[in-house]
Amino acid sequence: MKNLNRYGYFFIAPFWIIFLVFNIYPVALTFYYSFTNYSGSGVAEVVGLANYQRLLTDTFFVEAFFNTWKIWGINFALQIGIALILAAIFSDMRVKMKGLAFFRSIFYLPNLITVSSVALLFGILLDWQHGSLNIVLMNLGLISQPINWLNEPATAQLSVSLILTWMWFGHSFIVVMAGVSGISKDYYEAALIDGATRMQTFFHITLPLLKPILLYIMITSLIGGLQLFDLPMLLTDGIGSPDGSLNTMVLYLYNQAFKYNNYGYAAAVAYGLFIITIIFSAIVFKSMYRNERKQARQV
Amino acid sequence: MKKIVGLLMSLVLLLGVFAGCSNTESSGEAKDGKKKADLKVWSFTDELKKPITKFEEKNGVTVELTIVPIADYPTKLKPVLESGVGAPDVFTGEIAFLKQWVNAGYWENLSEKPYNVDEIADNYVPYVFDLGKDQNGDVRALSWQTTPGGLFYKRSIAKEVLGTDDPTEIGEMLSSMDKVFEVSEKMKEKGYRMFPDEGSIRWFAQGDNPQPWVNEKDELKLTDEKIEFLDYAKELRENSYTALAPEWSPSWFEAMDKPIKVKEDGKETETEVFSYVLPTWGLHSVLKTNVKESNGDWAVTSGPSPYFWGGTWLGVYNKSENKELAYDFVKMMTQDDEFLTDWATETGDVLSYLPVTNKIKDDFSDEFLGGQNNYKFFLEQAKNIEPGIVTKYDQQLDTFYGNAVSEYVDGKKTKEAAIKEFYRKAQNAYPELKVPKN
Repeated sequence: MKNLNRYGYFFIAPFWIIFLVFNIYPVALTFYYSFTNYSGSGVAEVVGLANYQRLLTDTFFVEAFFNTWKIWGINFALQIGIALILAAIFSDMRVKMKGLAFFRSIFYLPNLITVSSVALLFGILLDWQHGSLNIVLMNLGLISQPINWLNEPATAQLSVSLILTWMWFGHSFIVVMAGVSGISKDYYEAALIDGATRMQTFFHITLPLLKPILLYIMITSLIGGLQLFDLPMLLTDGIGSPDGSLNTMVLYLYNQAFKYNNYGYAAAVAYGLFIITIIFSAIVFKSMYRNERKQARQV
Repeated sequence: MKKIVGLLMSLVLLLGVFAGCSNTESSGEAKDGKKKADLKVWSFTDELKKPITKFEEKNGVTVELTIVPIADYPTKLKPVLESGVGAPDVFTGEIAFLKQWVNAGYWENLSEKPYNVDEIADNYVPYVFDLGKDQNGDVRALSWQTTPGGLFYKRSIAKEVLGTDDPTEIGEMLSSMDKVFEVSEKMKEKGYRMFPDEGSIRWFAQGDNPQPWVNEKDELKLTDEKIEFLDYAKELRENSYTALAPEWSPSWFEAMDKPIKVKEDGKETETEVFSYVLPTWGLHSVLKTNVKESNGDWAVTSGPSPYFWGGTWLGVYNKSENKELAYDFVKMMTQDDEFLTDWATETGDVLSYLPVTNKIKDDFSDEFLGGQNNYKFFLEQAKNIEPGIVTKYDQQLDTFYGNAVSEYVDGKKTKEAAIKEFYRKAQNAYPELKVPKN
């Protein structure tokens, strides 16, 4: 009998060609470069593990690691907090909040603006001498001196966190609402009849049943957060000012490669970032798996 | 039948993949029936648009201009030059990455036959011609312009505070940093601010003894003059000689034309900025485009030391298949008397090609500057510029040092700590440099 299955290979070929050329090849090439001193032009000399040795002792990379976590952490806590509060309000059976569709799109709007526009907008709003924020705060008498938001490490990091929250809470809210609508109304009705307070309903029904959704948001946000780049790049001078506080891991990678022309070292930074991402994803998956087993035992 | 259909469909899918990879030449030809361009030019501004139209008319050829914004320009151009696929025949380079590129060997050696540009070296402003040379002294790129700097000030304020608005007299009043501070104090007494921000004086930080950031032995050198600049910048801030409007910020632009409010020590004062430290192009693309009311109230003079800021060079790609035509374009941009005369009178761009500038410099006067002949002034300034202080590290090291200065001025770091941080950043970005250990 003739083997007709080979036609299948023609059908999967487009995917594999694109995947090999645009995914596997660059990844492999980057891996090779991470063992060289390639400077973007000319020949790449193999230098062994020198780049990885440097990475382990690089204080800038360690700073970048913690900066990324600080900025992402505050943003994530706020983003999830706001999304949950809003979800609690919109799903409350007693309040019967109207206009969910309207608010859902309003909350999501900031996410549609390109990051460069957002950076420009907030650059003007947060301006030290003439920014609207300082003018409002001073007119309210809350501060006597204008605050140079983007010039102090703490306020600069906080600013980025808050902008990220503003951009992403709508997204989290939509996902959380989807999770909430998946919870059977029976639980809430039963709770209502048993005389449970709002707090109790939220903490004992909504939250536990939302766990898989929250975990999903956490993983996607974590992976995105570790790659934080555009806002810190655009808000200040692009090399992490003030005082290196906005120097995130990917920004550092970008600067090493495209500004300082240390392509070889930048490739090593990329693999360092890759390993970090794997470790944290593994931790998150592991905790998810353990939770599932625990639940299974309870049942 | 089924087999054939299956085969056809998978072929169509495969073709879809390869269509994406097809080279631009064929798709270029297909587009509205035009034949492909004879010459490809890459640049980071639209400046070359008009010259290219002229070049097309003159030679009966088509030229394709690709403009890539400056921030992406080096990253986009580099892979194209490395591989030679879709590469331009002529491309421009900005001062920030010029040194790296002349040594990278992408540009054709213009010192060799048939170009022999060294023969016309005397026709150019010396520092401009020198900057286009690689490490062996061979010319790789030429420029049509020179970009010496000056200090633009408002005539009305000068008259009120200093009693004159004559550029020569004002220039004498600003001939050293000490004198600059004297004038700043006078400005402050009358309620004006000398500069928009502390960074304004960075071009004078070189002093009379300009040295490159990195010498031939790859040693990073922080000269005494550059360290002194930290103190000057701090003094400007502490004495309230600036309007706290950082360069390129909205308030920096606003202060050119209008009084602005400065908030410090818990109070708000309204003030006007006296001067902006800008080079040739600052007049046309910064001041003129942002100023309405004070049009004609400006003048330009010299600061404590000569400097230059920016500049565009261009050369022929060494793997170009069309070098002759490519060099014709370079020639028109940098050596054509007729074209350059028109160009200069139209745009006011200060040229580096002396045969033309000598001819036209005396007849210039700019309405914006109250009729002053800025052309002659800038050419005088260009003569004093020291070549050979530009290194490929400049752009990044200037940024690092600028950060160190603002951290010291803001009082966030001591002088020693700021310098130490500067060294740390420099070493991290350029491991090959020998950085002082302290």
